[in-house]
Amino acid sequence: MKELELSTLLTELSQAPGASGFEEEALEVAAGYLRPYVDRIERDPFGNLVAFKKGEAPEEGRKSLALVAHIDEIGAMVTKLEPGGFLRFTSVGGIDPRTLYSLPVIVHGKNRLRGVIGAKPPHLLSQKELEKETRLEDLFIDLGIPEEQVQQQVRVGDYITFDQAAQLLAGGSCLAGKALDNRAGVAALVVCARELERVRHQADLYLVATVQEEVGVRGAITAAYGLAPDAAVAVDVTHGEAPGISGGKAFALGSGPVIAMGPNIHPALLQQLKKLAKEYRIPHQLEAVAGPTSTDARAFQIARQGIPSALVSIPLRYMHSVVELLNLEDLLWTGRLLALLARHLEFNFAWEEEAPCT
Amino acid sequence: MEALIKKLVEAYGPSGDEAPVRSLIEEEIRGAVDRTWTDNLGNLVALREGPEPLLMLSAHMDEIGVVVTHIDEEGFLRLAPVGGVSPHLLVGQRLRFKEGFTGTVYHEKLKSLKELDWSKLYLDIGAVDGASAREKVGIGDAACLDQPFAVCGGRYLGKAMDDRIGCAVLVETARRLSRELPQAVAFVFSVQEEVGLRGATTAAYQLKPGYGLAVDVTRVGDTPKAPLSAVGLGRGPAVKVKDSSVITHPLVRKFMMETAEEKEIPFQLEVLERGGTDAGAIHLSREGVPTGALSIPCRYIHTPSEMVDAGDVRHAVELLTALCLKPWPRQKVLD
Repeated sequence: MKELELSTLLTELSQAPGASGFEEEALEVAAGYLRPYVDRIERDPFGNLVAFKKGEAPEEGRKSLALVAHIDEIGAMVTKLEPGGFLRFTSVGGIDPRTLYSLPVIVHGKNRLRGVIGAKPPHLLSQKELEKETRLEDLFIDLGIPEEQVQQQVRVGDYITFDQAAQLLAGGSCLAGKALDNRAGVAALVVCARELERVRHQADLYLVATVQEEVGVRGAITAAYGLAPDAAVAVDVTHGEAPGISGGKAFALGSGPVIAMGPNIHPALLQQLKKLAKEYRIPHQLEAVAGPTSTDARAFQIARQGIPSALVSIPLRYMHSVVELLNLEDLLWTGRLLALLARHLEFNFAWEEEAPCT
Repeated sequence: MEALIKKLVEAYGPSGDEAPVRSLIEEEIRGAVDRTWTDNLGNLVALREGPEPLLMLSAHMDEIGVVVTHIDEEGFLRLAPVGGVSPHLLVGQRLRFKEGFTGTVYHEKLKSLKELDWSKLYLDIGAVDGASAREKVGIGDAACLDQPFAVCGGRYLGKAMDDRIGCAVLVETARRLSRELPQAVAFVFSVQEEVGLRGATTAAYQLKPGYGLAVDVTRVGDTPKAPLSAVGLGRGPAVKVKDSSVITHPLVRKFMMETAEEKEIPFQLEVLERGGTDAGAIHLSREGVPTGALSIPCRYIHTPSEMVDAGDVRHAVELLTALCLKPWPRQKVLD
């Protein structure tokens, strides 16, 4: 996939509204891109999108691999209509109040309504208020229409998404925009599917766009139970290096996907990912995660009787803002690594006996 | 229905020790359903048989409370919370054990009430020393708030409205249902909701419902300087859109709202910033279960005097009855 096409794919995915529980439009974009490369696309009872590509091994005993990326983004929801037509709201997923003042938004009422997030201007804040951190309660949404019209158009519980165009930055290698957490992962699934177009693979492949990850990996919990794959790899984003953020918690942009290690990750799956990356010269980085990862991998690992799981992440700066920033090369390498795994994965997850420490 | 509510809220049943509530409900609902059983975790299931899809209604029996962690030589008991209990609310309150005896809560000498935490709090059951205390109580014994039911204007006051009012709504609904139902309905009275939606988790796995509906209380924004919420007492039961545990399935929410509109039952829409219900556990069961929640607006949740509106309770029963009598969609919910 050429770089230009990659930026178009990611831009379309980024700009589609798709807050947790409200993923329809983003899912349509993803389905459109995946359809040419797979045998069928379905929605499961919870709303997850499952694209299936049949493996070539004989049906009896054929294994399956799930590659999983959540499609939902953080957003907000109307909690109250205030006099004057202003809207109060709460978060859907972890939105950061510091980033919100003055952002353009879309309120998904009876119609799609453009609005902005307002607050008291700095001139009118007391010294004490200036020193305080912004809280959600200090903010409101202004649709610029009279109260009566707001009452006809908007109800408590209507979704709010950020209205932000994705931008290819200077130099053309980095893209910034909303929802790259985790449309980048979904884009990597598309790259992977395209890589596999001309390639034979033995195992059945599920490319899964999960819903409601940002509110507690909920889509992954039901998808893991429903699909019951023999192995799973979550594809998500991790923090990119920036001033004040480095040293094991953040990773270089442009240096390839980040492969996670730790108790959430099956060692045999990890070894194969590392081996393939090395063998096929895919630049990559390693991340140690001490507990369950904050990704779909945590749900897959403990579904049913347990599913060997791994995590591959794309480094990204300014996570949970509307200018999440990543390098398109990393996305490409991630998709390629996933395709290599789909092609070469050996489903041998037996634990080896080791001699006790002396 | 008032007599039923009184019996239910006054009953003893902290999370994990719900047996007295379970027996009471079993007796009240037995005549209105085809069969009842208690499962491994202690959930009471009362089933009205019928065609698929099975509709699982869930209200939790357990209430917040305390558990005894230590008995000292002077006969004072030390406590730990069961569910979300604030130590500040317990000072001066009476607590009741399953056997019926009570005690009162106070704290060690403090410079300021801000210092109050569980380590400074004790329960005095009137024992003269450790030995006589241990005759009545053991480590691990639970106690609940001791507070009588009261009618207060058009409103009900009591401990454990969360969620015995939901239990009362389920029992009353079961009694009102005609002989033939368009689908099977399981009335589930769940255990251990206050400690992590535990009963509903296993009940949903066991029942494999087509749809889920939790009935529980929700917070309101209609008291002085309350947090921002559009929900208030007396404006009808609330159709939940979102809380910390669930985003209501859009088709279930629509089905609930349309039913209320058809029957001209008042309702509110609810977005709860903190807190969860059994719906959170049900909707994640197996491959996922389209689930919603019907909420009774309630003031002063997790205090000895939780307040609900009698009209909201009546309308909740009407709406839940209508929802059981209306055929739920049989086709796949999403494609």
